[in-house]
Amino acid sequence: MEALLTRHLDPVAPLNLVAYQATGGYRSLTSAFDLKPEKIIGIVEAANLRGRGGAGFPCGLKWRLRGADAPSPRYLICNLDESEPGTFKDRYLLYGGPHQIIESIIVSAFALQAERAFIFVRGEYAKGGNALNQAIQEAETAGLLGTNIRGSGFNLQIEAHLSGGRYICGEETAQINAIEGKRPNPRHKIPRPSTHGLWGQPTTTNNVETLINVPHILLNGADWFRELGVNGGCGSKLFCVSGKVKHSGLFELPCGTPARELIFEHAGGLDENRALLGFLPGGASTAFLLPKHLDVPMDFDPIAKAGSRLGTGSIIVLDDATCPVEVTLNLMRFFARESCGFCTPCRDGLPYLTQILTTISSGSGRADDLALLDELCATIASQSFCAFAPGAVMPLVSSLKCFHDHYEHHVTTGRCPFNEANKNGA
Amino acid sequence: MGKIMLDGHAIPFKLGDNILQTALEANLEIPHFCYHAALGSLGACRLCAVEITPKDSGKAPRVAMACLEPSEDGLKVSVSAIAAQQVRQHVIEFLMINHPHDCPICDEGGECHLQDMTVVCGPPYRRYRGRKRTFPNQDLGPLIHHEMNRCITCYRCTRFYQDYALGNDLGAMRLRNEVYFGRFQDGPLENPFAGNLVEVCPTGVFTDAIFRQHFARVWDLKTAPSICPHCSVGCNTLPGARDGTLRRVRNRAHPELNRWFICDRGRYGHQYSEHSARPLAPRVSGTDTSYHDALNAAASQIKSTQDCIGGLGSTREDLEGNAMLQALLNNLGGIFTAFSDPKLETATIAAVSSLQNIGNAPSLAEIEQIDAALIIGDLTAHAPMIDLALRQAYRKGAKLAFLYSSPTPLAQFATTAITVSPQEMCTELSRLYQLINAQSAAEDITDTPMTDIAASLMGARKSLLIGAIETMTSQEVSTLSKLATALGSDTKLAYAFSGANAYGAALLSPTGSAVAMLEAVEAGQIRILIVAGNDPLGDSRFGTRWRAACRNLSALIVLDCILTATAKAADILFPVAAWTERGGTFINYEGRAQGFATVFHRPEYLPNVARVITDLAQYLGHSLQAAPSVLGDIFSDFQIPKPGTTGSLITAPSLPMPATASAHSIQESCNSTWQAALASWYGDEALASFAPGLMALTPKTVAMIEPTSAIDAGIKNGSKIKLRGSSGSMVLSVRFNQDVATGTIAIARNVLVQLGVGHGDSLELEQVL
Ligand SMILES: Cc1cc2nc3c(=O)[nH]c(=O)nc-3n(C[C@H](O)[C@H](O)[C@H](O)COP(=O)(O)O)c2cc1C
Ligand code: SF4
Ligand code: SF4
Ligand code: SF4
Ligand code: FES
Repeated sequence: MEALLTRHLDPVAPLNLVAYQATGGYRSLTSAFDLKPEKIIGIVEAANLRGRGGAGFPCGLKWRLRGADAPSPRYLICNLDESEPGTFKDRYLLYGGPHQIIESIIVSAFALQAERAFIFVRGEYAKGGNALNQAIQEAETAGLLGTNIRGSGFNLQIEAHLSGGRYICGEETAQINAIEGKRPNPRHKIPRPSTHGLWGQPTTTNNVETLINVPHILLNGADWFRELGVNGGCGSKLFCVSGKVKHSGLFELPCGTPARELIFEHAGGLDENRALLGFLPGGASTAFLLPKHLDVPMDFDPIAKAGSRLGTGSIIVLDDATCPVEVTLNLMRFFARESCGFCTPCRDGLPYLTQILTTISSGSGRADDLALLDELCATIASQSFCAFAPGAVMPLVSSLKCFHDHYEHHVTTGRCPFNEANKNGA
Repeated sequence: MGKIMLDGHAIPFKLGDNILQTALEANLEIPHFCYHAALGSLGACRLCAVEITPKDSGKAPRVAMACLEPSEDGLKVSVSAIAAQQVRQHVIEFLMINHPHDCPICDEGGECHLQDMTVVCGPPYRRYRGRKRTFPNQDLGPLIHHEMNRCITCYRCTRFYQDYALGNDLGAMRLRNEVYFGRFQDGPLENPFAGNLVEVCPTGVFTDAIFRQHFARVWDLKTAPSICPHCSVGCNTLPGARDGTLRRVRNRAHPELNRWFICDRGRYGHQYSEHSARPLAPRVSGTDTSYHDALNAAASQIKSTQDCIGGLGSTREDLEGNAMLQALLNNLGGIFTAFSDPKLETATIAAVSSLQNIGNAPSLAEIEQIDAALIIGDLTAHAPMIDLALRQAYRKGAKLAFLYSSPTPLAQFATTAITVSPQEMCTELSRLYQLINAQSAAEDITDTPMTDIAASLMGARKSLLIGAIETMTSQEVSTLSKLATALGSDTKLAYAFSGANAYGAALLSPTGSAVAMLEAVEAGQIRILIVAGNDPLGDSRFGTRWRAACRNLSALIVLDCILTATAKAADILFPVAAWTERGGTFINYEGRAQGFATVFHRPEYLPNVARVITDLAQYLGHSLQAAPSVLGDIFSDFQIPKPGTTGSLITAPSLPMPATASAHSIQESCNSTWQAALASWYGDEALASFAPGLMALTPKTVAMIEPTSAIDAGIKNGSKIKLRGSSGSMVLSVRFNQDVATGTIAIARNVLVQLGVGHGDSLELEQVL
């Protein structure tokens, strides 16, 4: 498949407005403004574009459910907070070409009749954020933003908001609080942000990669988009592959491409003499999959059926020289550190899990610790306030199942076999 | 009305309530931490887990948070379900991971919500084997002690402090299991309602620092329902005493007044009764003596006099004390008033009279519902909890308008705020009255702040006009009440009186009796004065005259529980019981009579005022009826309200509106260009000024002047000026302040007293180079 979303991206010298327009950029505005907003939503729905931010919620359905009669002002938030470990696709979109993002937001905001849009940029992407601001200015000067854009009667203002820098700021409602200048704790989702979001007004949040697809769908049609995918998947997808592979990187491939192709063809496979132990298919907050899952299409439903989540489509690979307990502990440290501190199970439960894992990993775990981990994870996953905690315990719960023998070994022998192996090797 | 099935019992619910509210309303406990009736649901602690099965949904039961799930008809809720119990156990286990387990030395012990919930929910043993996270504590000032390690991160403190009380110097900081509740830097909490953190916090993070100085276990405290004596709101309180000393005061919920909170003056002002200078033994001519000897001395003075006798009650003295003093004076043929300041007397009587005519003042719960208010003067110091009620109205979108002469904290929430010098206040109020009477305020008059106020009051669904009596004249009071009449029945009128029983005192004091009494003492017609709970010699406006006049007396007989200037000057001093040491009745700003009970007795014999007066009458050969029947004679069918009940409005004969010509103070003839205004703060009140904890927070004594008028007069910010009044002068440094009216100097009460000027009196200013 030819690159679609990344075709004109160049992180070293991103296209300016004129150059971007020369590649056909901003053409989708004409298509969009010729259509009724509801019609655009219908097309996006027909294209079966599913959210790329992690949950895979159908984008068109989300837009339609917000309702055409939502009271003004209406807001669109483009989520570019990308803090999921192993995920670096949004970053590429940002650094590679900010005008593509702006174009996507204009047509999406038009579909939603939103008069103000925010791009929430991860704090560490400050340079990209600055370039984005310049691009927004360019677009404003060219009359692509502001009032009555290209005589359409549609008004739009875009603001880039640079995050203070916390994983939780990627969560939709925490992000709304952050933009409002409040503590980024998630909000209770009743009433929904689609009706009571930013400053109590109707607000739609989409991942930047989700939005990037919209201009292409408008220009080429829903059927064309669906057919871009393989194995039942729809559209083009940005996949990240990292961990114990030869060439970690970002690959734009048809949605539904199996992990085997991603890992062994595009990422160059594992080091010589190493075998695959398992992999995370969708970023740190997804469940481990095993070599037997290599041929499952990397698409939302098949991966869910295999017991994990497509998440952000970011594969992290473990080889057989990597201690899965250590890897899991590393992830849990991350999540315990990133908990927003709002609800008890997550705030105090994750450090508890981390503490138990630390003892196991260092060889002082107890036989009943594994059952304790399972018991605590069940409550943390089901009784926390937002989706952070269920995601956070997912790799642990699955790792306890997938790599049970490794845990048993740590507990019964009182040491980490991989440490020994490394020491012997050295 | 629908019903939920709570563990098999049908419980009716109010539409819009959640499961937890429904249960609590029915007096059924579902464990919870972060939910608070005043602060609402948050969903953070996750302790209120219950198992729910929606009616006819065919869905499997699931565990949900009771504080977030709306009650629905037929919803099955189980608190006892094993799945819910297990979640609650885990939540407690998580919260206990870092808890210091220092119950034996924790002040919260015995009334700790965390302790209770841990016992109720379990688990009994800890499994966590790691290190505990620890926090440093902060110095939050003299009133509140901070122990962050005990925190369970329920966010109640910030929700109270920032969202409810609209304070901004305490909040949640950091994240993960390091969320910290405190200030950016150490320092006293600035909000006048900060003390409520002690009760809002379900653990021992925020505890009462004053209680801590002389600590007792709460189960050892003697308590009884009391009424706060520190202002006319009449908040219900629950003082606690041990071993003959008062240790602390807590909120006691009244459904229409203070429901969950009290102000810091009410919580910490009680230290007056433990003050080291408190008079505890009767004194005759400066020598301690027995109660019997003091009564004998007073009786013989009274018997031997040919002249008239004066009885000066007080706005902070209870109804019984005032009425008995009045009864004695009636028997002796003397005169009685409860006011030492004739201006305050006419203003208070005018206010009570207008409330009687227009209808009663709204309760705090009603004030929270108004959508527009006009506020004259400062409420934060004169009726703190009315300020808090108005903050709630503001949160719901009410428009607050202010006319004020000196800074008032509430004005930070103003839609329209106009500074007006005390002497112009009446004119400005009349102008507003004319605007409103013209009916067309919004249209044909230019858009001035005053027309905004008129429009907002006229457009309101429910509005409130309220003024602080101490800084108002009777003309202003009557103009405000005319304004209320003009606005119609959707407008409520209220006054923040000066003194917990000012309303009751006004009912007992004939108009003009204060000036009559003062003049009689000055003329030597009254040679014996009995003062109960009043401080004429310490008065700001009339203190100079009283001090001179009192030299004519042959005997100054004082009954009080604090060492005022008047008590110090007494020839015969009867120390009396403080408010927690006796029962009685106060009539609050609404006209609500509320009873309070004796909480404890000190080892010394400290009778209440009514007792002393009854005994004195007996020594004089008179026999007075008991207070209840004396009061029954004055207010037909009056029943002493029982302590612990909600009280009831007093029915009293209508007071005549006093003639508007006010009593003259000697100051008004002075032709200086500067006027004095009272710069009040919430700790400033007769009793509370003997509370060291609160007094440690007294603002710096400065002269606050509005910048433009100061610059016009060549006065620089920070420079020194000398102020002169009838009884003295004082050098102060100047502080520019936009919230002071033009031509006005705002100064603290103690400065006014020292200078001998009242609010609105002229003042001489001289620059000190
Ligand atoms: C803890 C947490 C972190 C998240 N972080 C991100 C993020 O960094 N970027 C993102 O696009 N979505 C993130 N999400 C998902 C968003 O809440 C939201 O569902 C998404 O932005 C919706 O966009 P989509 O429908 O286009 O996927 C996160 C969700 C959770 C629970
Ligand atoms: S689950 Fe974690 S991130 Fe989400 S609200 Fe609770 S503490 Fe915050
Ligand atoms: S300090 Fe108290 S009120 Fe505040 S969050 Fe901690 S436990 Fe709750
Ligand atoms: S508002 Fe008045 S009555 Fe209420 S607690 Fe404060 S001082 Fe006492
Ligand atoms: S009381 Fe319901 S979550 Fe805290």
